Amino acid sequence: MMDSIIKIKDLNFAYTNEDQALTLKDINLEIKPGQWVALIGHNGSGKSTLARLIDGLLAAKSGQIQVGSFILNDETVWDVREQIGMVFQNPDNQFVGADVESDIAFGMENRGIDRTEMGRRIKKVLKAVNMEKFAKHEPVKLSGGQKQRVAIAGVLAVQPKVIIFDESTSMLDPEGRQDIVNLMQELNRKGHFTIISITHDIDEASLADRIVVLNDGEIVGDGTPEDIFTQTELLSKLGLELPYPEALKQKLQQLGLEVPQEYLDEEGMVDLLCQLKSNI
Amino acid sequence: MSIEIKHLSYIYQPDTPLAHQALQDISLEIKDGSYTAFIGHTGSGKSTLMQHLNGLLKPTEGQLTVNGLTINPSTQNKDLSQLRGKVGFVFQFPEAQLFEETVRKDIAFAPQNFGKSESEALEIAEKMAQVVGLAPEVLDKSPFELSGGQMRRVAIAGILAMEPEILVLDEPTAGLDPTGRKQMMDLFAKLNQQGLTIILVTHQMDDVANYASHVIALENGQKIADTTPRELFSKPAWLREHHLDLPKTTKFAEKLQQKGFELPYLPLTQAELAQMLQQQLGEKHE
Amino acid sequence: MNKLLLGRYLNGDSFIHNLDPRGKLLLCFYYVIIIFLCNNWQTYTLLFGFTLVCLALSKIKLDFFWRGIRPILGLILFTVLLQVFFTSGGHVYFKYGPLMLTHFGLVNGCYVFVRFVLIIVFSTLLTLTTAPLEIADAIESLLKPLKRFHVPVYEISLMLSIALRFVPTLMDETEKIMNAQRSRGVDFSQGSLMQRIKAVIPLLIPLFVSSFNRAEDLATAMEARGYRGGEGRSKYRVHMWAKKDTLSVVVFALLTVALLFLRN
Repeated sequence: MMDSIIKIKDLNFAYTNEDQALTLKDINLEIKPGQWVALIGHNGSGKSTLARLIDGLLAAKSGQIQVGSFILNDETVWDVREQIGMVFQNPDNQFVGADVESDIAFGMENRGIDRTEMGRRIKKVLKAVNMEKFAKHEPVKLSGGQKQRVAIAGVLAVQPKVIIFDESTSMLDPEGRQDIVNLMQELNRKGHFTIISITHDIDEASLADRIVVLNDGEIVGDGTPEDIFTQTELLSKLGLELPYPEALKQKLQQLGLEVPQEYLDEEGMVDLLCQLKSNI
Repeated sequence: MSIEIKHLSYIYQPDTPLAHQALQDISLEIKDGSYTAFIGHTGSGKSTLMQHLNGLLKPTEGQLTVNGLTINPSTQNKDLSQLRGKVGFVFQFPEAQLFEETVRKDIAFAPQNFGKSESEALEIAEKMAQVVGLAPEVLDKSPFELSGGQMRRVAIAGILAMEPEILVLDEPTAGLDPTGRKQMMDLFAKLNQQGLTIILVTHQMDDVANYASHVIALENGQKIADTTPRELFSKPAWLREHHLDLPKTTKFAEKLQQKGFELPYLPLTQAELAQMLQQQLGEKHE
Repeated sequence: MNKLLLGRYLNGDSFIHNLDPRGKLLLCFYYVIIIFLCNNWQTYTLLFGFTLVCLALSKIKLDFFWRGIRPILGLILFTVLLQVFFTSGGHVYFKYGPLMLTHFGLVNGCYVFVRFVLIIVFSTLLTLTTAPLEIADAIESLLKPLKRFHVPVYEISLMLSIALRFVPTLMDETEKIMNAQRSRGVDFSQGSLMQRIKAVIPLLIPLFVSSFNRAEDLATAMEARGYRGGEGRSKYRVHMWAKKDTLSVVVFALLTVALLFLRN
């Protein structure tokens, strides 16, 4: 069994000092290297807070976070950040450089990486996110999806082990969103990155190996997409969407058709319906 | 309150080296009480066209008539502002427009600009807060204390407070979670049933399928479709050619057809597909 | 919003575009100094011709420069008229109280006009061919000696480049909020001074709020990307002083000699 890359133990967090208003309550979570974990939950459930805690951007009230071999504290925070790349929600507000190239360089400059090495890596990561033609472009001339790709390139350039996508697709149009989701898949499969994606796009979550459901600061579900998506009651109680085939299955059930209990993806559902039809 | 647009063209920064034609010879009609969706890619000209509807922009050529008020290239600016009281415009991420000390005052801002007295405006504000589903206790809070979803509601209430006859919505659900999205879309559907003309700019084809009665597609500043959602989504090949998406249900139904499952026509909504399937599959139980 | 052309950068690949920004910035200052060497038609013609050659080398349409001048044409003409009417000497064409139109005045007026136009055209040339970031880089490297006096040159330059990077974003934002408030019945262009000041509040508050939010997001993103101050950072954008930069300095030196030779 591989050792977990992220271990969270009894984590509590509050934005204010009052005890009543805990944003995160007793979070325990372990993530294995190479795993793709989707964190879902409605707005305000504490998903983004959790991500920021892992990266040491916020300080926990109590509990422990371990990333790789480092237990997060004031001394190790930069070592922890060394291993984590974050892509945030607003494409504009994380673009530091005046053009694509200098934005990608920003993270490497912070680490004092040699200039020729920077040039080499910029070329490589621009290719990885398919933005080679845009090296000299200014942010105003890029679409939201392109800016997010630049943000991903900036993360790749510093070669982290974990990439956290904090609602990175929520401000994009459908095309931009698809684009980034495809890129995430590629990074997870080919790049072997551990991915944590915070999202309320159920189609994005369904691509993950594992889904963790947060509600009011607590983990209320943790399992494979199949496990989570068949807990239809939990999902609808939390106001989360069902994946399309699952929602259709529910509708059919309401109309009196017999449907299997297990989770079906789109293909599975199509096959099932075709089979039912041929049985008639 | 109908809208009629005739041969409208718009050029940004005309007569400069940076001139750019954003709209080209657009003609269309939007009927009273209808629910019209505008679709098209980022940069297709949707936003530019919408800004004509409430007089933020003036056509470079052609004209538009909104309930008898005609705007053409030579219209004076003060006549443009007349239009603004009739057409409510909810911009993308409208919570960015909040500025007053309290929610109540912010919602009451627009009606006062359009001639209502302060007390009348505050009364309207209370009513509109209720319409958008804000709890009475938020009325005296600062809008900046609220959650993102609540701020969005305040902003929308602030537009409804103008008591417009047409409501233009530019991606009104962007950034909301699924529950927030559904509540918002249901609110607009309800307002439409009460007689408000709704114009929705969206990338969400499911919203077009579920809510709109009329759909107009733009591409590179030109109108490429002006029809009903059913008609539009019955041509998947055409949509793909123009890089436009299909509603989830239609996409799913297409897959069924490809596997040899015969459907009478392509359904638009999940309820419709479920009905269809029940009719075809339910028989064996009888 | 987009009417302002002064200070705008046009992407390009010309001799002027590719000059080192440090050299360009210094030579532009130097140009403003040597223009005061001109004091007769020969010197002005020489400088005018030199400027035209520079414009041609930039491959930018003359139209852009005209747009740079047009908004301040009124100001230039006003200054020129003051010069014309308050300079004495030479043949007097016309006199009314303290105002008089003299030969010297006319000639001086023409010179002042040409001087103004040349300075504006030349600085427009700098901004049109040099990305704001390059100007920030140039300022940083020119300020470098101040490091010895504990001036945080690096931070200043980072602030400058981030500020420059967000100018277009904030311009967009301003336009969006203006449109939103116009739709709520705010009139930014009419009414008394008081009314206009009042109209600005619904614009300024949202703009402040959004700028603060952006700043907070940006600070978080920078921290997540490992930013911990100027110490120990390397720099990706390095400018290489090339032959063409030395060449342009030599050309300016020759130009100065020619001006000194030709002036009265």
